[in-house]
Amino acid sequence: MSVIETEHLTRRYGSRTGVERVSFRVAEGSLFGFLGPNGSGKTTTIRVLLGFLRPSEGRASLFGRDCWHAGRQVRDDVGYLPGDLRLYPTWTGEQFLRLFGLIRRRDIAAAGRDLAERFALDMAVPVRKMSRGMRQKLGLVLALAHEPRLLILDEPTASLDPLMQEQLLRHLRALAGKGHTVFFSSHSLSEVERLCDRVAILREGRLVADETLETLRERARRRFTIRWAQVKDAADVDPPPFLTIDERRTRTWDGSLTGQTPQLVRWAATQPIEDLTIGHPDLDSLFRRYYRDGGPEAGAG
Amino acid sequence: MNRGLIAKSIREATAVTVMLAAALMLVEGVLSYVLPTVMGDFSDTLLQLPFFRTIIQALLGADVGDQLVPQTFVAIAWVHPTVLALVWTQAIVFCTRVPAGEIDRGTIDLLLGLPVSRWQVYIAETVVFLGTGLVMLLAALIGHRVGILSIASEDRPGLGTTLVIVVNLYCMFAAVGGLAFMVSAIGYRRGRAIAVVFGILMFSFVLSFLVQFWEPARMLAFLSVLNYYQPLPMVRTGDWPIGDMLALLALATVFWTAGGFWFARRDICTV
Repeated sequence: MSVIETEHLTRRYGSRTGVERVSFRVAEGSLFGFLGPNGSGKTTTIRVLLGFLRPSEGRASLFGRDCWHAGRQVRDDVGYLPGDLRLYPTWTGEQFLRLFGLIRRRDIAAAGRDLAERFALDMAVPVRKMSRGMRQKLGLVLALAHEPRLLILDEPTASLDPLMQEQLLRHLRALAGKGHTVFFSSHSLSEVERLCDRVAILREGRLVADETLETLRERARRRFTIRWAQVKDAADVDPPPFLTIDERRTRTWDGSLTGQTPQLVRWAATQPIEDLTIGHPDLDSLFRRYYRDGGPEAGAG
Repeated sequence: MNRGLIAKSIREATAVTVMLAAALMLVEGVLSYVLPTVMGDFSDTLLQLPFFRTIIQALLGADVGDQLVPQTFVAIAWVHPTVLALVWTQAIVFCTRVPAGEIDRGTIDLLLGLPVSRWQVYIAETVVFLGTGLVMLLAALIGHRVGILSIASEDRPGLGTTLVIVVNLYCMFAAVGGLAFMVSAIGYRRGRAIAVVFGILMFSFVLSFLVQFWEPARMLAFLSVLNYYQPLPMVRTGDWPIGDMLALLALATVFWTAGGFWFARRDICTV
């Protein structure tokens, strides 16, 4: 079952387009990464999903219900952390927990305190005395405390130290293991790579990729380094078509593999090579190409 | 009705409401005490001054006659600019909090990310707003009743008469609040919403003055909210100004409903 579904979702702000014809589905229990550079339309999509914005065209639904018309009902099972989190400055964490419990008509105090302990957050401090990181932790506690079926997190690791980031990712993985769905918006590839099993990439309001991380890894080029036995070999040998050489030094080639790894290995075995190093799939450069050109095909062209 | 929303609204409104209510009680008490006792001694002389007479009439929206009697001073205490300013401030400050204030300070995402409809938020705000109006006017009533102890008991207006004024003032409070809710529902900036409502009320106040000086302004008198709040006739007769109160309540309802529909249908963007 799809927890989130958008179909040709378009949202314009006057003459400016926020997102255009964005279609994707997020399956229940999945860890879905939503990647894109600043201004690519991630937050616009989230605002439509939460019923803050009405789509200009297309539709968006959560749990099979229209986000605009059934916003209140669908948000009952959603935990949301805004990208630019602002909290009431005079309230303490405890007071927020009580308020959210009252509004949600659920007792979330115990779960909230447990999360606060896990994130090392003092719930008695008023927000105005909290650091940015503490505020972010409080936002997470409030988004997670009612154990929602769907978590929509917009840049959740912002302002968190590396230990807390790891703690959060562990917690999200555990939730997904119990069937909760996580929609994780970020512009950081590394955390999406660490957490998510599927990734959608937005660029200038358009969806340029929606694939599993495994598929993306397969599509990503591997970096290689060839160390030649003789200086003249490095100069004389013509590279095969499945290698792109980025840098030639006296006895070394650095580049990326556009073909398959066995091809390189077979070819290397026939060459006077002293050493060959093949790296992991270079997701970073793949994502850069998505961000810059709209994808590997466009980038290659 | 969502208890959490009501609790949030009460918590956020309490400090300002208590301060303004205390100020209103004090001002109303002082005016009700000072005006009849101090100014009463000079009333005949003051009425000889054409400008003073016009000012008093402009404030009260009615002819004061040949003498400033204790009832006139009681009426002045209910239309004094300080009293109106305090009542209007409460209405404007409260009713521009949601949504303009929440959008302005960036907390609207937190609020509307919860399982509440915009109408629920709007209604909860309205319920608490009307409650704060009761607190404000109860404070004013107490201040007034204490202040008028300086007037001879036979000239003192009865509680019933004072209640008529208070209820009329409450209707005006609701109308100003309705207007502020509507302006807030349309806008993104609380400061701008406050400025717009304040500007409209200033226009209203100036218009009620101009009506006394300038004939063409009389045609526009119906546009002033003060046209529907004139305590002097109430003090004199004790009659309920049903028409004025209905006009104010109708204004409140129209503005409030328009604001509610706008809020429910608008896009919520951060600024």
